[in-house]
Amino acid sequence: MTPHFGLPEFGFLMRGLQWTVLLTLVAFVGGCTAGLIVALLRTCGRTTVEWIVRIYIGIFQGTPLLLQLFVVYYGLALLGLKLSAFVAVAIGFTVNASAFLGEIWRGAIQAVPRGQTEAAMALGLHYSSRMRDIVLPQAIRIALPATIGYLVQLIKGTSLAAIVGFIELARAGQIVSNQIYQPLLVFGVVGAMYFILCWPLSWWGSRVEARLALAAQR
Amino acid sequence: MQDQILIEMKGVQKWYGGYQALRNVDLTVRRGEKIVLCGPSGSGKSTLIRCINRLEAIQQGSIVVNGHRLDDSIKAIDVVRQDVGMVFQSFNLFPHMTVLQNCMLAPIRARRISKTEAEATAQKYLERVHIGDQAEKYPAQLSGGQQQRVAIARALCMQPKVMLFDEPTSALDPEMVKEVLDTMIGLANDGMTMICVTHEMGFARQVADRVIFMAEGQIIEEGAPDAFFRNPQHTRTKQFLGEILAHH
Repeated sequence: MTPHFGLPEFGFLMRGLQWTVLLTLVAFVGGCTAGLIVALLRTCGRTTVEWIVRIYIGIFQGTPLLLQLFVVYYGLALLGLKLSAFVAVAIGFTVNASAFLGEIWRGAIQAVPRGQTEAAMALGLHYSSRMRDIVLPQAIRIALPATIGYLVQLIKGTSLAAIVGFIELARAGQIVSNQIYQPLLVFGVVGAMYFILCWPLSWWGSRVEARLALAAQR
Repeated sequence: MQDQILIEMKGVQKWYGGYQALRNVDLTVRRGEKIVLCGPSGSGKSTLIRCINRLEAIQQGSIVVNGHRLDDSIKAIDVVRQDVGMVFQSFNLFPHMTVLQNCMLAPIRARRISKTEAEATAQKYLERVHIGDQAEKYPAQLSGGQQQRVAIARALCMQPKVMLFDEPTSALDPEMVKEVLDTMIGLANDGMTMICVTHEMGFARQVADRVIFMAEGQIIEEGAPDAFFRNPQHTRTKQFLGEILAHH
């Protein structure tokens, strides 16, 4: 009997999908946390700190993600730190996401009108309150569409994790396809799975963007 | 008490890069005094009041507010900002907070008073600027005049010793100027120390103890409103008053 696309194959893809989702979540939550620190340091007003963060961002935006994953997985192993494939790619994606999200939020923080900060300062509010109560709530709204857009890129980008042997959705598809020789069918299913994940997010993103544009007109 | 000095600026110099915005400014403000600052745009009048609460740093000279010398230390800046309220041309209300929240935030965060007390204070001052019934609205739902009155109430909630007004009616539609000026007149009548950058000369006549004319970063001339308007000494003052009064 020739192998065909049955329940076991579908189940294998579903497990790949689970890993894709898990890796995305870890990278996104980690990237958001680190990205917030990056954005705050990048706008802190101290020239030296801002330059160091600029270089950090430059390195991770200016080199291929693939290379960064290699460095974390193989490079750290050479230094004696042997990480599992999942931990290695999670670290790689988190650090990379922190640079990109940091830049998105830096722009959003700077897009909040200067008068907001001045009014807060005139009222005697300290930096932490100015950020937490005044600037960040407004910056988050401004940054939301771009952040959702980045999340969609991240979901699709996790397929790069396959390069260090991590079996996520795309790699799972490749394995199944090699077993049953039906690449069109298998990758069709894989594509549909990515689409179901990404499309609602993209749709939500453009709705948020439209709502913000409308609010800006008022 | 009446003659107590609240603000003292001595030999204040301020540069933006190579451009000198304030040249050797001396200004003494006594408790309860109302001062109107006027002058052509770019004359440094906004910069001057922004130095008093350290929104702008000065390069030379000294500023003492309520006995506290303003230097670069966060502590000094804190102390001074607690005593100085400011109202901006563009209102600068926090758009993501209701009117009430706008007024409660700083007392809770900077004065560390309880929420209940902050709310009572906020409500009191909102009623004083005749906007108590709008407390639950967001700034965008209010007219410009209402927003500026909220901004005044928000500053008052910190119970400042002095209020700075930076062209508070310049961004308003003409029909809303009066309600804001009336609020400011009420505040003046209650004895608040005020420094107002404004071109509303009617307000200056009615409220000011002193009118100060600035040009090119310097104080050119000052005097009681009567003398100032009737008998200006400097050519630049005459020219400025001629231009501004022709429009009113």
